This record gives sequence, C-alpha cells and structure tokens, in this order.
Amino acid sequence: MTPTPPPDRPDDARLSAWLDGELDADGRAQVDAWLRDHPEDAAQARLWAADRDALRARFDPVLDEPMPAALRQTVLQAGRPAAAPRAAWRQVAVAAGLLVAGAVAGGWLGAQVAGSPDGHPLASLSLPWADAERVRPGGWTHRAAVAHAVYAPEVRHPVEVNVAQGTATEQRAQEEHLSRWLGKRLDMPVPLFDLRAQGFELVGGRLLPDASGPSAQLMYQNSGGQRVTVYLRKPEPGAAAAFRFQRDGDLGLFYWVEDGFGCALVGKLPRAQLLALAEAVYKQAEDQIQPAPQGHKPAS
Amino acid sequence: MQAPDLFRQQLLAAVPRLRRYARSLTFDAGTADDLVQTALERALSHWHQFDQRRDMLVWLLSIAHNAFLDQRRRDSRMRFVDPAQADAQQDLQRADPGADVGLRIDLMRALACLPLDQREPLLLVSVEQFSYAECAEALGIPIGTVMSRVSRGRVALRALLEGQPRPEAVRTLRRVI
Repeated sequence: MTPTPPPDRPDDARLSAWLDGELDADGRAQVDAWLRDHPEDAAQARLWAADRDALRARFDPVLDEPMPAALRQTVLQAGRPAAAPRAAWRQVAVAAGLLVAGAVAGGWLGAQVAGSPDGHPLASLSLPWADAERVRPGGWTHRAAVAHAVYAPEVRHPVEVNVAQGTATEQRAQEEHLSRWLGKRLDMPVPLFDLRAQGFELVGGRLLPDASGPSAQLMYQNSGGQRVTVYLRKPEPGAAAAFRFQRDGDLGLFYWVEDGFGCALVGKLPRAQLLALAEAVYKQAEDQIQPAPQGHKPAS
Repeated sequence: MQAPDLFRQQLLAAVPRLRRYARSLTFDAGTADDLVQTALERALSHWHQFDQRRDMLVWLLSIAHNAFLDQRRRDSRMRFVDPAQADAQQDLQRADPGADVGLRIDLMRALACLPLDQREPLLLVSVEQFSYAECAEALGIPIGTVMSRVSRGRVALRALLEGQPRPEAVRTLRRVI
C-alpha cells in the first residue's frame, strides 16, 4: 500500500473540464499530476486546446464586421411608433430599389440581391420614393445631369485627366493623380469607384464648378461605349437625403446625400442597370468617404 | 409596453457576439443574421422577462438557441450551406484568407459534422467562453450534461480532423493501451 495512491486516470469529461477551468483546486491538482506523468494524455489536452483556439480564431472576425443597418434598426426602433431613422430607411430604400430592379431585370440582378449582406424580405414595405420624380432645375442634381449631358458624348475630350491611356503603370499613376487632385480641390476623399463588376471601366475625371465650390465628375464606359458619370460634391449642412431616383428626359439619376458628401450616378441606361451601378458606388462610398475626413491632405 | 432605452443599448452592445454565435451555428452570414434578427425581435418583445442581475448574453444566446431549434423544426428541409463554400465566402469578405485556409476548411467541415447537441455546448464553451453553468442555463440542460457533451464534442471533432470516422472506437483503443 502506498501512502498516497496515484491519481486515477481522468476520463474525457474530466480532462475536458480541466481544460475549461471547471475543476476545483483539488481536482485540478490531480489532473495536473496525471498529465505530468502521462505525456500522451497531455498531448491530447494540447490538441483539444488547439482546436478550441482554432474555433475562436475562425469566428472572432465576425465581431469586427460592421453591424448590418437592419439589425441596428430592429434594436433601436422595433415597437416604436416614431419614424425610422434616416440611415436605416436609406438602407431599406436601396434594398427595396433592388427588389424593383429585380422585378424589371429578372434573374440578372437576382444574384446581387442574394449576395447582399443586408438582404432581407422587404415585400411588405412601400417604396420610399414616388416613382421617378423629375430633376429640379437649379438643384445640384440638375448640374450633375447637365454635366453628364455635356461631357458624356465627347469623343476626344470626355475628361480632363484620362486614366485609360498608356501602359498599366501610366494608368495607375494617372489614377493616383486624379484621385489626389480632385480630393485636394474638393477637400474630401474622392475614391475612384470600381465598377468593373458591373462592366464599366473608369475613363477619367474632371473638376467642375458647383453652386459654391468645386465638384468632381468621374466617367465610366462599358464595352458597348455607353457612359455613366458619378458626380461628387460637398453638401450644404443638414442637406442629407435618402437614396432617390430622378429622371431628366431620357437621363436617369440616382442620388443620395450624406453628412460629408453628395453623390449622383447619371446615365442613359435602364433604371435597373443604373441602380446596380449606383448601389456599387453607394457601398464603396460608405467605406471610403465616410470614415475619412482625417489625413487627406496630399501634396499634389 | 415597449422596451426601455437602457435595455435597447444593452441589446445593441450584445449584437456582435450574438452574430458570432449565430454564424458558428449556421455558417452562412445571411442565414445567421436572419437568426439574429429573430432573436432580437423575441428579446425585445420579452424584455420584461429579463432579469437585470443576470448576464444579457446568456439570456440572448438562450433565445437564439431556441429560435434556431424552432427554425430547424419548422423547416426540416433546411438547406445546409457547404461549410467550405461559406468559408470561401468569408475569406472573400475579409480579403485576408490567412495562412491556413486548408486547415480552417477542414475545421468547418468537422464542426458541421458534429451533432447539434454536441456542437452547441462546444461552441458556447470554446468560442463564447461560457462557464459550464452559463452554458447549462443557455441551453436548458444540467451542468453534468454540458460537461459530457463538451467532451464528446471535442473527441468527435478531433477524430474528424484526423480523418477517423468513428471517434468512440479511437478513445476505446487508447484506453486499452
């Protein structure tokens, strides 16, 4: 008879509880002692710990994802009679627009709706815009529409800074120059939105006069030679507006105004196609313009 | 009577962890956020049942657990997203596949193969770092059951990762040695 009998072999549940810190001091000491003398069981526990760490590493990034507006909206507004906050219903407007467009364009747009992280059933919602309001003369969307009408048909000089000429290196240099130049003049980040997924390549951009300062126009072209322009400007304070659609003759225009910028996408395309483009610009603008009034002071 | 602001703020703060748990249950971001949405709506309509002395997250994940079971019962034909595909999707979203894509795909496949009654306790204890008592409360099962299910989940997960189809046999063999 030994004075202190060696600890029993811990079974799986006990070893697992040891790993989770669920044993009391005595229990922990017993398992510690067992593992000191039984490297194969210690190795088993290490593998379990590695699996636990791998699971954490796999799902922890979800914590850093931006919260979908629909969830925030649910938490803050569910059960309240008050009007929905602007940011949330703009989100709804985009999604509802996608539904309308989906009905128009059928399966073509379906994949994009399905791929939207914020996609959720909206069938019962009424659309927040009256269908196809007219561009108001004198408003900034009118200037965006006119700028499109003036420059989009230009064959030789559609833009001031052309990023579609030269070698790939030269194009990249021109892109950087364009973004910095417009950013400096507008005093806000001017991202060169990537619309290649929608079939449109960036041609270039130009500086334009707006009501009380400069604005920027970016021009895109698809393989069929069709052009769309993105018009960016600094808004008047408090002028924020939700995602809307306007028409001016055969031009269609999606626009929205945030605290830091107003943006319009203009083109002579079916509304569904314009919407897909506008939605891509909207998403990229949310990422690239909103968080960054800081540090944008490039020396051109 | 509608939920007070304090409750809504607490709920909002818990959303990221609720989303993480939902993602680990369903693998697919859209399905997971649908589950989150359902759980939040239920929490808001039962806010008066929440005891402020208790942990909001335990209560919330308990609601998510029940909502997930309801959903599976209601839609027994629920499509399962291929975990590898979901993983690839997440990698696209993060634009940083990391150094061990292959390993993580295997991990997700293995996780998806675990029976739910092992997967949930294992995730709550491993990823959410719940104590066994909290896990028991969230799932409505005794602590002893949590303990045995977590360990069985671990053994099964390891066996799957090592390409061994029958976890029970593995452990039995080791016992003989």
